[in-house]
Amino acid sequence: MFLLFSSIATCWVLLSVQSLQGGSNDTQLASKAEESALDHWSFKPLTRPSVPRVENEQWLGNAIDAFILAKLKNEGVRPAPQADRRTLIRRLCLDLLGLPPDPSRVQAFLEDGQPDAYARLLDRLLASPHFGERWGRHWLDLARYADSDGYEDDRHRPNAWRYRDWVIDAINRDLVFNRFTIEQLAGDLLPAASEQQRIGTGFLRNSLLNESANDADNEEFRVKAAKDRASTMGTVWLGLTIACCECHDHKYDPFTQRDYYGLYAFFNDVDDVDLKLPDGIARVVQATQRESHLHIRGNFLQRSDKVEPHAPGRLSVFRKSGPRADRLDLAHWLFEPTHPLTARVAANRHWQHLFGRGLIATPEDFGVQSEPPRHPQLLDWLATEFRKGQWSRKKMIHMIVTSATYRQSSHHRPELAKNDPENELVARQNRFRVEAEIVGDLSLAVSGLLQDRMGGPPRQPPFPAGLAVDVLKREKLLEPSRGSDRHCRGIYVNVQRTFPHPMLTAFDVADANQACTRRERSNTPIQALSLLNGPGVMDCASALALRMLNNGQVSKDLVRYGFEFCLSRPPSRLEQQLLTDLFNDLRQLYEINPSAADQVVGGAALGQTPVAQYAAWVGVARTLLNHEEFITRE
Amino acid sequence: MHLPFIRGDFLKRREFLTGSSAAAGMFALRSLLRQDRLLASPGSTLPLQNPLAVKPSHFVPRAKNCIFIFLAGGTSQVDLYDPKPELNKRTGQQLPESFTEGNRFSNIKLNESYLMGSPFRFRPRGECGTEISELLPHIGSCADDIALIRTVHHHAFSHGPGELEFCTGKDLPGRASVGAWLTYGLGSECQNLPGYVVLVNDRAPVTRALSWGSGFLPSVHQGVLFRGEGEPLLNLTRPAGVTRNVDRRQLDAISRLNQARYQQVGDPEIMSRIAAYEMAFRMQMAAPDLIDLSQETTAALSAYGIDRPGSPGNFSRNCLLARRLVEQGVRCVTICQRRWDFHEDLFGRISDACQTVDQPIAALLKDLKQRGLLDSTLVVWGTEFGRTALTQNSKPTKKSGRDHHPFAFSLWMAGGGVKGGQVVGRTDEFGWLPVEDPVHLNDFHATMMHLFGLNHEELTFRFKGFDFRLTDIAGKVVRKLVS
Repeated sequence: MFLLFSSIATCWVLLSVQSLQGGSNDTQLASKAEESALDHWSFKPLTRPSVPRVENEQWLGNAIDAFILAKLKNEGVRPAPQADRRTLIRRLCLDLLGLPPDPSRVQAFLEDGQPDAYARLLDRLLASPHFGERWGRHWLDLARYADSDGYEDDRHRPNAWRYRDWVIDAINRDLVFNRFTIEQLAGDLLPAASEQQRIGTGFLRNSLLNESANDADNEEFRVKAAKDRASTMGTVWLGLTIACCECHDHKYDPFTQRDYYGLYAFFNDVDDVDLKLPDGIARVVQATQRESHLHIRGNFLQRSDKVEPHAPGRLSVFRKSGPRADRLDLAHWLFEPTHPLTARVAANRHWQHLFGRGLIATPEDFGVQSEPPRHPQLLDWLATEFRKGQWSRKKMIHMIVTSATYRQSSHHRPELAKNDPENELVARQNRFRVEAEIVGDLSLAVSGLLQDRMGGPPRQPPFPAGLAVDVLKREKLLEPSRGSDRHCRGIYVNVQRTFPHPMLTAFDVADANQACTRRERSNTPIQALSLLNGPGVMDCASALALRMLNNGQVSKDLVRYGFEFCLSRPPSRLEQQLLTDLFNDLRQLYEINPSAADQVVGGAALGQTPVAQYAAWVGVARTLLNHEEFITRE
Repeated sequence: MHLPFIRGDFLKRREFLTGSSAAAGMFALRSLLRQDRLLASPGSTLPLQNPLAVKPSHFVPRAKNCIFIFLAGGTSQVDLYDPKPELNKRTGQQLPESFTEGNRFSNIKLNESYLMGSPFRFRPRGECGTEISELLPHIGSCADDIALIRTVHHHAFSHGPGELEFCTGKDLPGRASVGAWLTYGLGSECQNLPGYVVLVNDRAPVTRALSWGSGFLPSVHQGVLFRGEGEPLLNLTRPAGVTRNVDRRQLDAISRLNQARYQQVGDPEIMSRIAAYEMAFRMQMAAPDLIDLSQETTAALSAYGIDRPGSPGNFSRNCLLARRLVEQGVRCVTICQRRWDFHEDLFGRISDACQTVDQPIAALLKDLKQRGLLDSTLVVWGTEFGRTALTQNSKPTKKSGRDHHPFAFSLWMAGGGVKGGQVVGRTDEFGWLPVEDPVHLNDFHATMMHLFGLNHEELTFRFKGFDFRLTDIAGKVVRKLVS
């Protein structure tokens, strides 16, 4: 989450006293950096590696597996066996939709003996509108999307969500990655730009904004926003930590201060405007022209040489379409056939979201300081494949999830833990806790409370009790939503930059102040308290219990039914026994404490079920919702 | 198979179960016993052990607990701890070039920056006579317990890397924090609270959770962030109708279900999750007592300055909570506040900031001492770097500020086996570079570990084929600091 610092850290620059005086020796420094750094693998032109020939064809699903298997053989390691079908459908549903499969779907998949059962499942998931919510959220992390301005005032942004919905929709219709990019960086500059294409430039509007700045500071914050846009572009498309070049040439990577201000100049040529829509307003940008300069030591008041908008031709040839380069030229530069980074960075990100870890573990840094990849050929092959597939995100995902590599079991392999603790070889799938938003989505989904409505203005689920009123006031939070809005998917929860929802914070939600390329995955007592006692927990547990009661006749079936709903598999004998015992004990506890049972049930209509039994089932449901496996993608 | 932390709880559970209703107690006990049988059944080969179990130190420790005060932003040694009469005399002149050769800066342009003395007076404090600024009168009164180090240095001059260097011993993300190393090395003597607690005042450090993170160490060692106001933690209160017995029964089921899964898939994160749930339960029991300050005397409360409104009162509360946490056996408490980055208007702002922290920190030292806890509690004044003797790109004025300065700055330690009443290290006439006894942060950390009876070169964690340690590849214990 805090990768900015690695960037700062990897590039402090030794400033000789002379270089403080201005940019006169830029070229010298640049050529020095170039010499050593352009040799680095990620800056070399992208070529398509040939697929290794390996035996064990039984295991091979597609070309990905050949790369993986070749390396594993080298290391004397066997791949893990394929995960069972229940795990596979759950994994695929969580990775592609962020929602658990309905037990009936699991059953249907188990019973589907056709060889293309997995392929058809995959097609269905890729066509689901929830796919856009899941993969849209990944993109919003990078886009530092928020529903508020940031800084101290942090005012609400009532129309930011139009961009969020644009992203979801674009991903659902598989707007290919180059078009997806162009519309966000330069949608307004496209010939006869449509309303939708202009809304894409909301990407740029996600910068922080200091409304309370006085006039003297306005220019400073405008410049800051332009720099944020340049740095974000560097992180998201180039996988480079260019923010440090605001002050100085990159120490390790072939990126100079002049390159940085060349990019900055594109975004300095931007004005923020509102686009009037039939049903409201979208936040977009329009082109303007300003003179841009190098800022000595990054200080916007200390201008030195004038800089024209340009992209670093050292990485890939940069072409201007007119006398002055614009953002459209910049976007096209990213997709030049010779560009070494865009495809590698994007391909790595797909892998990351499907394995919990990128082939390059530092998606924000492909530079000289990054760890060399264990599967460089595979990454390059995927990158060329992405390009070959016309930059289709869905094709890319299809390719990865149909590999045998993806379908491996995620069970730990103690024999590999010593030499490959991070599973860099990919000799199994990874097993990891799902992201903050998905943690909440899962509870709402299995309890049947999840709001159907997609898109629209942000919702504010209730805050935990004890968040004092004055805190709410100070943080200028939205009033908690009512009705089903409380039960929206996490992606629709109001993103207040300075005060994200505590439940999301507990589970390492992205920091919306800067592009977030990967989430942390902490494991804390705070999370336990949030899942045990947080707001909405009992709503979900009660609804799940009711679901169980409505569907089962005898207690044994109820356990099984609830278990399958939550975990997509039947309980083992041991698990069945544990939960049946739990039910019996809780029922006894509630029988001797009817008022507690009443508090749990809260007067809900129960038909024939005694209150103590219902309360006990709520307890069983709360237990299931706290199972480690429930919030884990295996 | 050992399950000490859960077993320990078993007795407590039995107490309250039998204490509630006889019937409930009996069946619950039966069911608990049944579960224990289940756990002990043949074929159950869980390598389950409490990752926070107390571990022996390498040699006899002087300190048991740590209070790590982290004043992020960069506290100005020139104005607080390292008096420079020569600098005061030469205010307005430029720094001789010989000082800056090979130096790096964050924001400074040397040709536009000028020497700037401190307007604040220093005088000798305590019997030892350590010179401390008038901005810190209360801390000055504890001079005889404080070992002031004026020559701390490293090379990271931005906040992010600097914070990580100070908190984890390395300027890159991914390493474990000091507190995490301590619980990893020694475990925790506290069964009801996390081994490592973090209290934040105002704003968190820019590296937020990384500054108290566990890096490659198991996540159970990361600091647990307490809230600054009200209940220390959100979601401590059980939902309506979920009685303690009901909750405990469900927690047992959760734990056993997770153990069953662990046997299937072998993911160590499951064990962390089980430990996290156990800790959550115990925190629910202990936290209300922890924050109940009614047992404190009014004299104590006002000594800390808790009645002060807003941020100062909150900082005071955190200092008092730190003492209470240490009393409970919490291994490490970090008190952090990000406020000290005064690139302009330094004099006014540092006065305010000092007023917030001076009284409560001194009260904490005196309180610990009076309770006989200071001998076993190491208290650290920390910051990621100091500040320049130069203005930042301007002629010196009342509104000037100072830039970051990692080449020589001041930290102090007190208690926990530290030899108080001394100054270690001497800097040049501008406080620019160490001239005597330079102490690298790795040395500082090595000394901290030494006070806890840990050899910093032996306390390692193997990751990616390397034996990582807090002190990276350097660090020497500063013997002078140890009493």
